[in-house]
Amino acid sequence: MKPANFAYHRPGTCTEAADLLYRLRDDVKVIAGGQSLLPLMNMRLAEPAHLVDVSAVPELRRTDLTAEGATYGAATTHMMFEHQLVPDVADGLLSHAARGIGYRAIRNRGTVGGSLAHSDSSAEWPTVMSALGATVHALSVRGERRIPVTEFLLGFFSTALADDELITAVSVPRIAPGTQWGMYKMARKPGEFADSLAVVQVRDTGASTPAVSVWLGAAKDVPLRLKHVEKALADRPDRSLLPADLSGPLAADIGADTATASPHDRHALQLHAVTVHRALMAVGKAPHAA
Amino acid sequence: MPHDLTIALRVNGRKTEATFPARTTLADLLRDRLGLTGTHLGCEQGVCGACTVFVDDLPVRACLTLAAACEGAEVVTVEALEGPDVEALRADFSREGALQCGFCTPGMLITACDLVRRREPLAREEIQEAMAGNICRCTGYNGIVRAIEKTVDARICAEGP
Repeated sequence: MKPANFAYHRPGTCTEAADLLYRLRDDVKVIAGGQSLLPLMNMRLAEPAHLVDVSAVPELRRTDLTAEGATYGAATTHMMFEHQLVPDVADGLLSHAARGIGYRAIRNRGTVGGSLAHSDSSAEWPTVMSALGATVHALSVRGERRIPVTEFLLGFFSTALADDELITAVSVPRIAPGTQWGMYKMARKPGEFADSLAVVQVRDTGASTPAVSVWLGAAKDVPLRLKHVEKALADRPDRSLLPADLSGPLAADIGADTATASPHDRHALQLHAVTVHRALMAVGKAPHAA
Repeated sequence: MPHDLTIALRVNGRKTEATFPARTTLADLLRDRLGLTGTHLGCEQGVCGACTVFVDDLPVRACLTLAAACEGAEVVTVEALEGPDVEALRADFSREGALQCGFCTPGMLITACDLVRRREPLAREEIQEAMAGNICRCTGYNGIVRAIEKTVDARICAEGP
């Protein structure tokens, strides 16, 4: 199908974009790569009266690198992360995650800001950016504000962004020294959205057990930190937990009741347990940042 | 009623000016306004890959690219694919029976061309993964993957060590 009619705006700066958004705020969408929005518009699930295309705003493609981390312009494409055309401050995790997004033709246009604004927890960036403690920079005529990704993502297709706000950048703190990561995406076909997606970080703190953080996407409307799983791992320094050992704590994290769960929910729980297990097995195995 | 837009771009090497309603996708611009019907529209939601074209040298989905966003862009469609890489690819597609109804072929060729020109040795599994975004409803994948495998190897060998 084809998109419904809309008026098209192509600002050249962020300020111009923010002004347009404020003026048109009753029925406007921001478009960058359009790889999530255009399918919805083609299917007429979204019919905004105005589109503000920010793909011609150079500021949105900038990367600022500091000792603390990097601030990636919102229109940085998945392809740029994949091929490390921007520095990877997460020791290869950003590049690895980007590689799994859609297909090459999608990654060439789709952007990190767009993916976060779309807020689908089965996509890569929401879970990865939550795990890395990233921050979204949002601009409106009222000025700029910074929102931690975990507070930014409110639910399926729902974020803390106001109608007239624009994501300008995403800041990612440098992954702590001595941290190893593992990620696993369960999908039926390369390029599909995840059925389950786990990101594990293991940080050697010098203590007898390393600090472990585990995040899970595609289980709920927003990415989840698996506190019960982390606790179970704290008791097992070698992290040698099998999916069967993980499903108990995982059920507690997801809020599933294994006794009354439907076959579908039990299957989902099993998928997540296997995915977390594979992410744990993958810790330290993927190639590092160049 | 929103106004029509006019943009200047290059399509298959030729300078082109086009006027169209804002909602026009690059695929519709190519097919309906410029008569370049080699770019096929299958799903119009980015999944099937039949509409894949080069924009500024990168393969993209023409159904998920607004024509309006292509101001100043260099677009290359299957009609203008040329050079030794593409000749080899066409010959191998023909030899390996890599097309049946041919609907998916324009997108297959663009995606495959992008693979071949990178000059990276690729295992069959890597080609399968790289081609996963192009669907062939005749299910002729074996021939397609075989053809690309042959071209990738041949073009790397042709340039010697």
